Amino acid sequence: MADDVLLDVRDLRVNFGPVRAVDGVSVAIRRGPFGIALVGESGSGKTTVGRAVLRLVPAAGGRIAFDGQDVLGLRGPGLRAYRRAVQIVFQDADNSLDPRMRIEATIGEVLVAHGLARRGAVADRVAALLSEAALDPALASRYPHQLSGGQRQRVAIARALAVSPRLLVLDEPTSALDVTAQARILALVRRLRDERQLAYLLITHNLAIIPGLCEQMVVLYLGGVAETGPTGELLARPAHPYTLALRSAVPEVEAAARRSRIILTGDTPHAAAPPPGCPFHPRCPLAVDICRTRVPALQAVAPGRQAACHRAAEVLSGLRPPGAPAQLAGEP
Amino acid sequence: MKLEVRDLRVSFAGHPVASVPELTVDGGEIVGLVGESGSGKSMTILAILGLAGTAGAAVTGSVRLDGQELIGLSDARLRAVRGARIAAIFQSPSLAFNPVFRVGAIVSRALRQHGLSAAEAGERADAAMRGVLLSPDLLRRYPAELSGGQLQRVAIALALALRAEVLLADEPTSALDVTVQAEVLELLRELRDSRGMAILFVSHDLAVIAELCDRVAVMRSGQVVEQGPTGQVIAAPRHDYTRELLAAVPSLADPGLGE
Amino acid sequence: MIALLIVLVAVFAPLLVPYPADAGTATHPEIALQPLSLQHLFGTDQVGRDVFSRVLAGTRVSPLVAVFVLLISCAVGIPLGVVAGYFRGAPDETVMRITDIFLAFPPLLLALAFATVLPANLTSLTIAIAITWWPWYTRLVRGQAASVAGRPYVEACRALGIPSWRILLRHVLPNSVTPVIVQVSLDFGGVILTASALSFLGLGAQDPTPDWGLMVAEGQNYFTTQWWVVTYPGLAILLTALAFNLLGDGLRDVLDPHSRWVGAR
Repeated sequence: MADDVLLDVRDLRVNFGPVRAVDGVSVAIRRGPFGIALVGESGSGKTTVGRAVLRLVPAAGGRIAFDGQDVLGLRGPGLRAYRRAVQIVFQDADNSLDPRMRIEATIGEVLVAHGLARRGAVADRVAALLSEAALDPALASRYPHQLSGGQRQRVAIARALAVSPRLLVLDEPTSALDVTAQARILALVRRLRDERQLAYLLITHNLAIIPGLCEQMVVLYLGGVAETGPTGELLARPAHPYTLALRSAVPEVEAAARRSRIILTGDTPHAAAPPPGCPFHPRCPLAVDICRTRVPALQAVAPGRQAACHRAAEVLSGLRPPGAPAQLAGEP
Repeated sequence: MKLEVRDLRVSFAGHPVASVPELTVDGGEIVGLVGESGSGKSMTILAILGLAGTAGAAVTGSVRLDGQELIGLSDARLRAVRGARIAAIFQSPSLAFNPVFRVGAIVSRALRQHGLSAAEAGERADAAMRGVLLSPDLLRRYPAELSGGQLQRVAIALALALRAEVLLADEPTSALDVTVQAEVLELLRELRDSRGMAILFVSHDLAVIAELCDRVAVMRSGQVVEQGPTGQVIAAPRHDYTRELLAAVPSLADPGLGE
Repeated sequence: MIALLIVLVAVFAPLLVPYPADAGTATHPEIALQPLSLQHLFGTDQVGRDVFSRVLAGTRVSPLVAVFVLLISCAVGIPLGVVAGYFRGAPDETVMRITDIFLAFPPLLLALAFATVLPANLTSLTIAIAITWWPWYTRLVRGQAASVAGRPYVEACRALGIPSWRILLRHVLPNSVTPVIVQVSLDFGGVILTASALSFLGLGAQDPTPDWGLMVAEGQNYFTTQWWVVTYPGLAILLTALAFNLLGDGLRDVLDPHSRWVGAR
């Protein structure tokens, strides 16, 4: 397992002032082809983890190792080399490309900056990258605003691929896109995984896109890990009440695929003032006394599966919450 | 309570943006309008509310609320209708609430605008908040102190307090977490069932529409391409675009990698 | 449009001027203070020079001062603003404190102060005004640069390993410059007014340079009777300032995407 690991994140901590955005998250990403999903809602810290991996925000604690080498202490040429190996595609397709630069210049800039091509000789490389991202190479001479959202996101992917990364972080890559554009992007990622032996970290709040792309998943809540495990198993037999609720909330077109709703009371508490004990307990339909006082540790609940819940074993065996909420949201 | 739309056409400088030949929403049902960006679904909502003109659009056709024609009504009479009989909630609830006022003040002002006294407004507001499963204490807070889900529910509470019988919802849950979205959708179902509200729900999320709506109209590039009972449209889509949309929606039941 | 006309006049002034010598050192005391006539469209001034010629020739003086002032202001102000806005922290603090010091003085007074210690000529005038003008651009650019620095495409560049200097030059700079372009056209008129004011006070252009402000100063004694000596140069100042102001407004409408009406979905 140790030499199989491409990126090893251990106990990562990221603070924004007093707010603990990421509070002890560990993720192990294997060598490609491999996909792992980081799932969570607002306040979960998933985006911050992605940014910390890219060294875009400073880490307050923990360790990140790439190919066995420390990442957090990298500087200068070492950092540049790391940035060739690990790349990111952002959520905001509309704004991740410089509006004043043509597509060819945007992608060309990356090639030149890393010494992968000379200034005047980028055209061919750019055309190849665009084709790989299922785009017409003729788009190279256009400006971002002349492209659709889906096309812009594919340009962003092409740009990330320009440095031939071994790990790609996809931060909500399709959240801002129409469903048909989303389907195309997801198909593209799937294809790149096979063709480039790519490893990727998919950050998303949409559970439904995970099974087709990632074999492992990590569920985050309020900066910490709720549970982790192989995708199929985790979704079929969750070991954490939050995963139960999350899964039940996913809307489905086919009536047969729907599950009975577990409605959580209230909204995610603010990360600046996390509740005592288990961070999920105020909304948890299965909370008991111990949940209010002791923070559950992330522990193995089955081979390859970990969960941070005092009742994980019970949930795994089929414990499910009873009916509707008895308390109005907002009442103390 | 019935909302009837016939031959509604919205255009900007001669360019048609939305065209709805026929759409009806009865009390006690939720009708969905599904389409991607640029399909014209949001413009349709604005046109029904009589707000398309402010965006510079020209509107022709008929929108009848219980037989009363809304297109062509003077601003003054439209204002009486808006809120009191048709209410609307939008994607970004924080935009609907002026951040310098307490939420309760905004709600109460809207109620008094429609003729209620301050005391009546207070009572109705409290009752409505309870109706959306929120504590009336939250009315004392400022919009920034409430989450997106809570604000959206306050917006719905306002519609309830105004005794609106028709609710137009334009992507009300698109900006919310999926667990919060589930709560709001549950609330809309409750409004339909126990209060007999007529709800027109606009969204790009076909899965949400499939779960929530009794009937659905599919829009693309300003045209309605298919319409009918939700179950039927999904099981037996007649238009290629509908099929394309259905095929593109991901599902947890999809086969995983290596399966 | 008018601005274009003025620029054209400035360029072709030497050809258009009927009495070129009058713009220079010639004086004709015998025809002093003549009212408008066919030979002298705007009349003559107190030493007999053709006012029309001098006004036309003046298009090369004040606007030229403005051009240099704004060039210097941009050359100094923009780089400082970009660096301050992008890097934040220590560079930001340093630059902004220096800027604040300059901004604390009322511009006209500061220009006045500099102008009095420097020899009175156009160069000093230019320098004096430029010294008071650059801080505004720094502040303007810094705000814009800071906003651009936070944008996703800049963050994407950092993630892609593109070195800072390249990011500054190719991304931050071009995207921060728009408000400056608008501001420059608006300021054109302002600089001309300031230059005219200083020349009026005798601190800039000296006789016989056909500077409009100077002409107003020289002719002020004759205002009530031989009004043309003062009025035409004054009008020239007004027109030029207005023209460039309108140009700036027009530019802003074109360049600022927010003012463009966004079509609904």
